Amino acid sequence: MSTIQRDLRREPLRYRMKAFFAKPANLILLFFLIALVVLSLMPMVTMLTNMFTVHAGTEKKMLRVPVGSWTLNHFELLFADPEWSRSNFWTPLLNSLIVATGSGILGILIGGTVAWFITRSDLKCKKFISAVFVFPYMMPAWTLALFWTNMFQNSKVGGGVTGMVESLFGICMPEWFVFGLFPMIMVIGLHYSPFAYLLIGGILKNMDATLEESATILKASRFTIIRRVTIPIVMPAILSTFLLIFSSGFASYTVPVFLGSATRTFTLSTKMRALIQAGYEGQGYIMAFLSILLGTAILGINQYFTGKRKSFTTVSGKSGQVSLVKLRGANGIISAVLIVLTLFFAIMPLVSFALESVIKQAGNYSFSNMTLDFWIGTESSVFETGMPSGILMNGTMWWGLLRQVGLAVTVSLIVGTCGMLIGYACVRRRGTWLARAVENLAFFPYLMPAMAFGTIYLAVATSASFKWMYGSFFLLGLVASVKFLPFASRSGVNSMMQIAPEIEEAATIFGVPWVTRMSRILFPIQKSAIISGYLLPVINVMREVALFTLLVPYPRYLLTTMLFSFNETGYAQYGSAVTLLIIVIIILINSLVNKLTGASFDKGIGG
Amino acid sequence: MPQIILEHIHKRFDKFVAVEDLNLVIEDRGFVTLLGPSGCGKTTTLRMIAGLETPTSGRILIDGVPVYDSDRGINLPPNKRDIGFLFQNYALWPHMTVYQNIAFGLEMLKWDRKRIESRVGEMLQLLKIEQFGKRYPAELSGGQQQRVAIARTLAPSPRVLFMDEPLSNLDAKLRGEMRTELKRLHSDTNSTFVYVTHDQLEAMTLSTRVCLMETGRLQQYAPPLEIYNQPANIFVASFVGNPTMNFIPVRILSREGNRIRMEMLGRQAVFTAQAPAEDLSSEGVLGVRPEFLPIREDGALTASIYSTLPAGMETTVKASCGETMLTSVVFGSVDYAVDTQVKMEITGNSIVLFDGQTSRQAGVGAVEILD
Repeated sequence: MSTIQRDLRREPLRYRMKAFFAKPANLILLFFLIALVVLSLMPMVTMLTNMFTVHAGTEKKMLRVPVGSWTLNHFELLFADPEWSRSNFWTPLLNSLIVATGSGILGILIGGTVAWFITRSDLKCKKFISAVFVFPYMMPAWTLALFWTNMFQNSKVGGGVTGMVESLFGICMPEWFVFGLFPMIMVIGLHYSPFAYLLIGGILKNMDATLEESATILKASRFTIIRRVTIPIVMPAILSTFLLIFSSGFASYTVPVFLGSATRTFTLSTKMRALIQAGYEGQGYIMAFLSILLGTAILGINQYFTGKRKSFTTVSGKSGQVSLVKLRGANGIISAVLIVLTLFFAIMPLVSFALESVIKQAGNYSFSNMTLDFWIGTESSVFETGMPSGILMNGTMWWGLLRQVGLAVTVSLIVGTCGMLIGYACVRRRGTWLARAVENLAFFPYLMPAMAFGTIYLAVATSASFKWMYGSFFLLGLVASVKFLPFASRSGVNSMMQIAPEIEEAATIFGVPWVTRMSRILFPIQKSAIISGYLLPVINVMREVALFTLLVPYPRYLLTTMLFSFNETGYAQYGSAVTLLIIVIIILINSLVNKLTGASFDKGIGG
Repeated sequence: MPQIILEHIHKRFDKFVAVEDLNLVIEDRGFVTLLGPSGCGKTTTLRMIAGLETPTSGRILIDGVPVYDSDRGINLPPNKRDIGFLFQNYALWPHMTVYQNIAFGLEMLKWDRKRIESRVGEMLQLLKIEQFGKRYPAELSGGQQQRVAIARTLAPSPRVLFMDEPLSNLDAKLRGEMRTELKRLHSDTNSTFVYVTHDQLEAMTLSTRVCLMETGRLQQYAPPLEIYNQPANIFVASFVGNPTMNFIPVRILSREGNRIRMEMLGRQAVFTAQAPAEDLSSEGVLGVRPEFLPIREDGALTASIYSTLPAGMETTVKASCGETMLTSVVFGSVDYAVDTQVKMEITGNSIVLFDGQTSRQAGVGAVEILD
């Protein structure tokens, strides 16, 4: 027997425990292991059991058995009944897949093209285009959807409301253009194209130019180089970008609601909510479960692509001298087109929301038709609006705003702190199963579409022992904290990875206690990453709808859910006003992030 | 006085054995180098002595005090071991000025402000960086950062100073300068230095003793010249010395006391060991340093020039003798045309004979080629 084994046996468990708990990182990991198992795995289990049990209301009435008894009826209905199955499952699923695929392709085409022009050609006004191009990404995706309807709706489709294009040019766009799958693809694709631009542009920018230069020296043509060198190198990144947009498009709830309701075009996530609201909870949970499975599968595929040896995303180059492609005569035209298009999608939504929020009669943009009543009107001046006064004069709106801001601040404090601690502990104990488990568990909520995640917690909050949670601020805070933890813990890990362990060890040797090491050494070094780790959840919460829509006690509880209720009930002016308000708040927070951290969204790709 | 003793130290990372049964005594005021190729466990050993890494089992004593003992569950944290640690990447805190970097550790020791000020001043002066006190690390060159790191480490006057490849991030010229400074610092500070490096030249020139390791095992622990002249095995012989030692396979024919008859390079030869030779199998390897293989007109071996590398002060000549490639170092600049036939001779009394099966050293002595 070797001496090691003998010695190990002699080492009592007590000492090993002592050594284990002497490291703060271990304590942190243990805490989060327990917390995350409870907060993300347990709700999963609740949801699974809900797929097989009978709920009060419609289900109970239909099946005539006590609430809570086991049943396979939800599956039977959803899959066995051909008519029901087609309209409630297969068609929405197909729609979701079409939207996800289409928007993935569109996003990559737009983002990738712009990225190539910015990094590899001598385009004019690069800085400006780059900055304006990423601007819409800050705004919630549904603002673009709302903008789309504002622009193109007309007297011949949907609700028959006159939009801007019809009233200014007299053109009536066909229905497929205004509502349904096509606009969904356009909106989601456009919304995520800056995301594709940032990822692909970042890689093109960092890619060692000598790789392309050596091909030039071997007499390859420009086109051959793009085809044989550039594209294969960025391919894994393109695929992974596609998958991320695909899963976002698949999970998207707000855009299909705005663009599909009028023509009753359902996707999986809108159908999920419709079923739950109609009392078919069991089937809703089955759908939520399926979309989680799909999300997991997509992430698995993504990891397969990015984690394999064919991943070149980390290529880092010294050579910054890229010989830019000369666009010659086309330069002026291409840059002009890009500037106009990017400005249109960045500025026009704001203009459109401002206009829509002040006109009395839709489609009439003359001064006589304008009023500020929807903003500051009082009881006497406001007519049939569903609100007793303009939104700025109205307690409901202010309460909604206050609750949303309160929620955002609470969540950001929790998520920012947890993300940082998880980042620290996982990096310090890297390679141990505990660190791996916590890192994966913290990332787990990312796999779940927001709608499905909200559904899970709905299942918990309606179960007998957690009734007290239902509709509470606490529940909203909890859900949002778990849902937005993945980003925070990822950025926590990334920022801690940048600090060599020696930086902390150098202080350990001087006997600096852990709290002081964190507060005087690690945090100050990663100050900007940590500040943005706290501020990004604020933006996330401020624009989130899908996660909260099932969990709020009543629709006007939060600003964003209020906006939806306005829209569903047809008070477009209030909807536009609230949207504008949300956008302004988000822009303010975002510029605060930029100011404090010195980083802008496009990270100087256009520089 | 701080003497460091390691007893039966083992370290495993999961299933990977990083250090196996290491026993070492580091004398007070010594300058001991842990030398070896990357992944041999030298840095792990250093970090275990410093308390940054916990051994799997064994015992470590600093100054007679057990700082780690797996049997008794003792494991003192680094700050209780009265040590200084110099990191390869310096680990300067980027958000603090040079002054703050040096003062921080002293603040943690609760020194009063006056005393800190004078001590930092002293350190800045010792390392000739007075003018950089207010700068941030990013505003300094590599060599200057290195000096700040040394100043920060030395400020609390640790009795033992650990250094983990401190010069590997510097360019060749600066590395040479810092080597001189470190040796000087060792005698000025009167403390024990433990130094990790993979650069055999650094180990040879700086240390009082070299601890050579490979795959977690101690290969030889001896003063540098002993390592060079009497390597314990083929690995040690090949790791130390530049150009590398020549290894010539030999067949043992017979032995009478210290005299061993053998066949090498197709010739008969006699090896005369300084001390009675150890037991030998029939296969052996003869280790000849390049400086003991001069090119001479009256040499007994014939070789054909493969390439010549003149470096100014000396010239490295590679020549093939039958199947075997031999390396010779000649003083001064010479240049041979490729494929020239030259004569070579094995000279001196420091030729090493290794056992072909165990790779262990069997004796040191002289070789005479018979005809």
